[in-house]
Amino acid sequence: MNRLELAGCKLAICLGPGGVGKTTISAALAIDGACNGRAVDVMTVDPAPRLLDALGLNADASEPREVALDSIALAAGAARRGRLRALRLDPRSTFDAIVRRYAATPAAAEAIISGRIYANLASAFAGVADYMAMEKLLELAAEPTADFIVLDTPPAAEALDFLDAPRRLLELLGSRAVSLLGTRQGRFGSGVVDLAARAVLSAFDRVTGLKLLGDVQAFVRNFEGMYEGFAERASRARAMLHAESTAVIVVTTAEAGRIAQAGEFIAALRKAELRVRAVIVNRAMADLPNVAEISRAKMPAALKRKLKRNLADYAALKTREAISFETLRAAMPAGAALMLSSELEHEPRTLADLAQIGARIHRGQEPMPLRSE
Amino acid sequence: MALARLLFVTGKGGTGKSTVAAALAYALSLGRPTILADLDSRMSASMLLGAPMTGGAGGRAGATLEVVALSAHAELEAFMRRIVPVAAISRRMLKSRTFGYVTAALPGLEAFLMLERLRIMGGDAALEDRYVVVDGPASGSALELLAVARGVKGIAPVGSLNRIAHSVESFLVDPERFGVVLTVTPEELAIREALELSAALREHLGIATVAAIMNRIPAALFSKKELEEIDGLEAHLALAHRRERERSAAGRARKEFLRAGVPMIELEMLYRPAMGRPEIAELGATLAAEMPAR
Repeated sequence: MNRLELAGCKLAICLGPGGVGKTTISAALAIDGACNGRAVDVMTVDPAPRLLDALGLNADASEPREVALDSIALAAGAARRGRLRALRLDPRSTFDAIVRRYAATPAAAEAIISGRIYANLASAFAGVADYMAMEKLLELAAEPTADFIVLDTPPAAEALDFLDAPRRLLELLGSRAVSLLGTRQGRFGSGVVDLAARAVLSAFDRVTGLKLLGDVQAFVRNFEGMYEGFAERASRARAMLHAESTAVIVVTTAEAGRIAQAGEFIAALRKAELRVRAVIVNRAMADLPNVAEISRAKMPAALKRKLKRNLADYAALKTREAISFETLRAAMPAGAALMLSSELEHEPRTLADLAQIGARIHRGQEPMPLRSE
Repeated sequence: MALARLLFVTGKGGTGKSTVAAALAYALSLGRPTILADLDSRMSASMLLGAPMTGGAGGRAGATLEVVALSAHAELEAFMRRIVPVAAISRRMLKSRTFGYVTAALPGLEAFLMLERLRIMGGDAALEDRYVVVDGPASGSALELLAVARGVKGIAPVGSLNRIAHSVESFLVDPERFGVVLTVTPEELAIREALELSAALREHLGIATVAAIMNRIPAALFSKKELEEIDGLEAHLALAHRRERERSAAGRARKEFLRAGVPMIELEMLYRPAMGRPEIAELGATLAAEMPAR
């Protein structure tokens, strides 16, 4: 199977190492969906300025915006054009909105949001962006018009950074030790744990000058009562990821280092019991022309030699790529399609470029086996 | 001006950071003892040199070239041991789940301690007339990492972290000890990102960029006239144009870097089926001529 059929999918999630073009692939799949008549929402994270322009997004497009597709041709066989909406995830403002929704009182919400711990948590805690992507996803999925959602994930070193985010955040908020810090001493009848945790933090504060203990206590106190809301949404997000109608797609490039990382992603997804639908190798080299054409052509011998040299140069790179594909093939999960997205002649910059990439992936293109010569 | 003792290599993902870091370390090790420090848990730069790692922490890639792995968590452990002299207490703190959560909630702490490690390495290198090359994270994360000392000063107005933050900041702006090397490829996006990062480092942090190393520039092959002479052979012509396009992108970038006051060093594209030690040595030879050890 070398086509990527997402017609039955309600959600596609693109995961992969940083710098491989996840956002490009996500946008391409979304446009292809819309060209096939579906109502699509694509959520991007940290897109390159050019893609922002192509999708008509600006800095604060944290709510879905309609993308005009008039210039894009309908897919063959499609009866009508669907619609495309795009949004850019803003983890901080999403987090603020959730805190305001779930906090016991508006005053508690503001106390959390203005605190030092929250500022660090929201802007830097590895996983907040991931978690907020999940939150926004639930919000989009709950809309009655939701038909197909494409989710671009934040750049991450590990696949599970994203998938694990709800669990990790909940663990932090719900951890016994942290809640003991925030509540009155001995309430859970575990004075020893409480005292040890306090002792550790106050020792740390003394030497570092951070004064964390008070902040952590205030933060946890303010978060009391919000835990259930978070837990409930996190388990819904988890269920959505594991649903039959969700396609998990790993994006990579053919570069050796990225292929190794993609292999690690695949292994981690398998461990998390998530089925990978496809692995897409972005910016793969196009097929090379035949050397015999040069020999037959009428032109000066010196120029022929140069053309042959140029071809041989690119053939060496193609071999490098083919070696990478063999590594990837060995790591492919059962039932997943290995697909190529050939590089365009220029960096994708318009909706039409993205539509072309999407249509090619939809049609399917498989890597050639490594030739042994 | 003499080269900074610690060179921090960063750039857009996919521009060959590890390749350039490995080649640069190789080049400097021809003149002076050099350490290649990998912040990447996969040790990609060291792997390119075929350096055997002993116990995951370090190894040797030549008589004067050492490779080491740096991990943020190990730095946190070392820091705790340093500030809490009673071993039993520092162990206790490191094992505490609460402490783990708090440091996770303040991830700047681990990054900050990593910078402190770089400061110590850079200082040692200056004293012992050596070099350190760091295979750093991609542009966005690099800026975050290098800016973290400022944030720490804000949240810790007094105490040991504040003192460290001050010394880290003066290390980063000392061209004798610290310099940033940007990797770039002849592609518009990579060039734009490198120029933006260089400006951000200078404006926000006062950090100077030592050089942009442009990687993968195709060697000249076709003249303009020859390209016009190719009749038919569409696919071959496209391939020839591709090569020349990359060459001219490199030419344009040269002017832009010049305007931004960043010297650009050029590395030729190696059309090889694999990248390994011989290729790194070849790129290293070019760098040794352009960025010699003092």
